[in-house]
Amino acid sequence: MNHDASAALLDTVQQHVANGLPLRIVGGNSKSFLGRVSESAEEMTTLSVAEHRGVTNYEPTELVMSARSGTPLSLVIDTLKQSGQQLPFDPPQLPGATLGGTLACGLSGPVRPYCGAVRDHTLGTRVISGKGEDLAFGGEVMKNVAGYDVSRVQIGAYGTLGVLLDVSLKVLPLPETTRTLAFEQSEHDCSAMVKLARHFLPVTGAALIGSRRYIRLAGSDAGVQAAASELGGDAVDDAPWDALRDFTHTFFQDERPTWRISVADYTPKLAIPDDKDGSPASVLYDWGGAQRWVKTTLPAQEIFALAASANGHATRFSSASVGDATHQPIEGVAARLQTQLRTSFDPQRLLNRGRFHPELDT
Amino acid sequence: MAANPETVLSRRDKRKQYAAELRALTPTGQILHSDEDLRPYESDGLTLFKAAPLVVVLPASVEEVQAVLKWASERSVPVVARGAGTGLSGGALPHEDGILLGLAKFNQILELNPEHGYARVQPGVRNLAISDAARPHGLYYAPDPSSQIACTIGGNVAENSGGVHCLKYGLTVHNILAIKVVTIEGELLTIGAPGCDDAGYDLMALLTGSEGMLAVTVEVMVKLLPVPPLAKLVMAAFDSVEDAGDAVGRVIAEGIIPAGLELMDNPAIRAAEDFAGCGYPVDAAAVLLCELDGTEAEVEAQIGRVSDVFNASNAKTLHIANSEEERLLLWKGRKSAFPAVGRLSPDYYCIDGTIPRRELSKVLARMDELSKEFNLRIANVFHAGDGNLHPLILYDASIEGESERTERLGSEILQLCVAVGGTVTGEHGVGVEKINEMCVQFDTHTLEQFHAVKAAFDPNGLLNPGKVVPTLQRCAEFGAMHVHKGQLPHPDIERF
Ligand SMILES: Cc1cc2nc3c(=O)[nH]c(=O)nc-3n(C[C@H](O)[C@H](O)[C@H](O)COP(=O)(O)OP(=O)(O)OC[C@H]3O[C@@H](n4cnc5c(N)ncnc54)[C@H](O)[C@@H]3O)c2cc1C
Repeated sequence: MNHDASAALLDTVQQHVANGLPLRIVGGNSKSFLGRVSESAEEMTTLSVAEHRGVTNYEPTELVMSARSGTPLSLVIDTLKQSGQQLPFDPPQLPGATLGGTLACGLSGPVRPYCGAVRDHTLGTRVISGKGEDLAFGGEVMKNVAGYDVSRVQIGAYGTLGVLLDVSLKVLPLPETTRTLAFEQSEHDCSAMVKLARHFLPVTGAALIGSRRYIRLAGSDAGVQAAASELGGDAVDDAPWDALRDFTHTFFQDERPTWRISVADYTPKLAIPDDKDGSPASVLYDWGGAQRWVKTTLPAQEIFALAASANGHATRFSSASVGDATHQPIEGVAARLQTQLRTSFDPQRLLNRGRFHPELDT
Repeated sequence: MAANPETVLSRRDKRKQYAAELRALTPTGQILHSDEDLRPYESDGLTLFKAAPLVVVLPASVEEVQAVLKWASERSVPVVARGAGTGLSGGALPHEDGILLGLAKFNQILELNPEHGYARVQPGVRNLAISDAARPHGLYYAPDPSSQIACTIGGNVAENSGGVHCLKYGLTVHNILAIKVVTIEGELLTIGAPGCDDAGYDLMALLTGSEGMLAVTVEVMVKLLPVPPLAKLVMAAFDSVEDAGDAVGRVIAEGIIPAGLELMDNPAIRAAEDFAGCGYPVDAAAVLLCELDGTEAEVEAQIGRVSDVFNASNAKTLHIANSEEERLLLWKGRKSAFPAVGRLSPDYYCIDGTIPRRELSKVLARMDELSKEFNLRIANVFHAGDGNLHPLILYDASIEGESERTERLGSEILQLCVAVGGTVTGEHGVGVEKINEMCVQFDTHTLEQFHAVKAAFDPNGLLNPGKVVPTLQRCAEFGAMHVHKGQLPHPDIERF
């Protein structure tokens, strides 16, 4: 099952570099619904990294795991679990997902505001750049400031700064106990979650679904017990976290497109206009209010404008048609710097051309 | 190329001219250019390297920073940013043909928002000043470098600084939300967002730890965390450094992440005790300081488990700080360990490699050998929890050849760190100091990619030129080979 396909991958990329032909990078294809569908997607060669798999280094006492990017995420999670550890950012466990795809899309679960994001736990990466070079950044140690922190920049870059080959992540112990409490709450009111974030409690999840606020506690038995008595609420056994993480919650069954709006948790309710047919948008608040899932048929540009006016950004999280905008447009000096950064890794725009921010591909 | 005396200004004329031009651009700021005024800026915390800039400019507004950078860009003048100058890798070492851009006047906390858990501060605000301002609200800024009384948040962002509590609470990169920066062209932009992430590439991650090479930070939005209701410090003394090192791994294996886990060897214990009088056991070969924090219930549960681990690892004494005063005193000893060790010897040189924890005792043993080979004393005080070593080499710069020998020993230690799978710098940065060792850690393509990243932000290489990333020519001259996955070019390392 373990296989080092890096030489073959490097060879394929180098051939495409020589001929100026773009590549569509695919791991488990579990996140094909994410990102823009480029006009030329059909003609692009698929670069499959699923063959490049296996955990290459894991020593629980080091709190570090290194694995090849095609390693199934489920295998990573199971391996960690056997040693009582976990991926601290609890990423979506979509069927077939690979570690590389998870990192390239930069997806973190409901635990994100409390324990950090994918990038926060990324220690090192080895990538093939769009120049066909085999590059290694960071390493397997907890603290490392040698050179620019290119490893973290690869996270959430949708492969446009390099084909991820190998990654090293910081891992953490699983908590002894996890418990979820539920409270009645007026809809769209995140204030209780914001307040909670200013208190030192072992919170690892806070979501507002309709008029129910869910709080997850995790840690030592004694610590969770004490926090639970302090908070009150009803203990629940149908905690929503896994369903929120994996987009299987009933909220996501609404057929309208799903948008993710990332804002500060204290941002008031966004004034999202109704759909053309008069149906109101449906909103779910995760990450204590910092990650808002929105079901709406509003045009992308209106959603981007709304997110921008709240100092945030929006991303489409359901399959788009060819050419549809999926990521908040980047403007001004930031667009120039990001474009130049893209150029520095992939001057010909070969890697996942058109999948991320099209303005950076010009 | 022969200089034409009529077109090339003398250094003094250039200094005068730059000073006049910069004065016009910074009406509320300050310009320094007399030899005497420049002297305090000649080096940072790493005094092995010294250079005088042409002019020091201390702007007082963001507009002035923009104007200065635009000027530098148009005139092709190198710019080195400087916070408090406590850096330990020569990052703020001036460029002889350039200007030093001091951010000292940016010392205001612009907004402290306890309700929403953040502060917006100017880059010259001292690290500790943020926590001091937040504490009345029950909040603090987590990264706590030992230099926190003096170092600035702008410098912390540039170095991605850590502290004794970063094992649990992370480094600077984990504790800042957004920054405002000025590019070398003088443009102002915001990077990051008040939420959890921002659109596009993660420039926050790229800029953090970029050592003033990509842009100048003029504002930082930091996260404020609630102060843990309880913190307890366990001090364990050991008869051997190896036992202490092993205990570190065992604590982690227990599934416990202490807030801090620091190791000091005997020379460091003695020096710190002498300096701070905090009650360290001066006869121990090593002590571990292990802090546990959280709610009362959590801390009580963990303290028993940690004590068991230490006992099982041959700790000879265990002491739990009796009071908050004692806890702070024990930390004070640790935080003043560098200057304390500095009193043992006219000069000291602090090394900053990180290694996988499992290599701890091996590396400490090898360092002991190196210390004898080079005939230089080494004291160790470091962030054991994350394998971040700080060997302090004691030397006397007034003794002929000792500085050079010290530099060579430092380089050997860093190469040893790379050889065991670690890195040449955990938190102090590459600066000018570790530029040669970068050739050992990275291969040619990766170094070229670093140069390309730099060029994406600063195409003419005016921001802190010559630092952080070595030219390939320099690597050839240094004669170092990139160490790849245990294929070591240093045969002596195989001895252990
Ligand atoms: C006794 C002692 C103990 C220390 N302990 C620790 C420790 O525990 N952990 C740790 O991580 N470090 C430690 N350090 C190192 C040092 O304090 C940190 O690196 C600190 O972040 C430097 O801050 P500064 O304001 O002094 O920056 P400076 O030394 O002035 O500059 C450091 C670098 O940042 C750049 N820079 C500064 N300000 C800006 C800005 N506004 N924009 C862009 N670039 C800028 C400079 O060009 C330079 O490259 C210690 C140093 C000493 C002397």
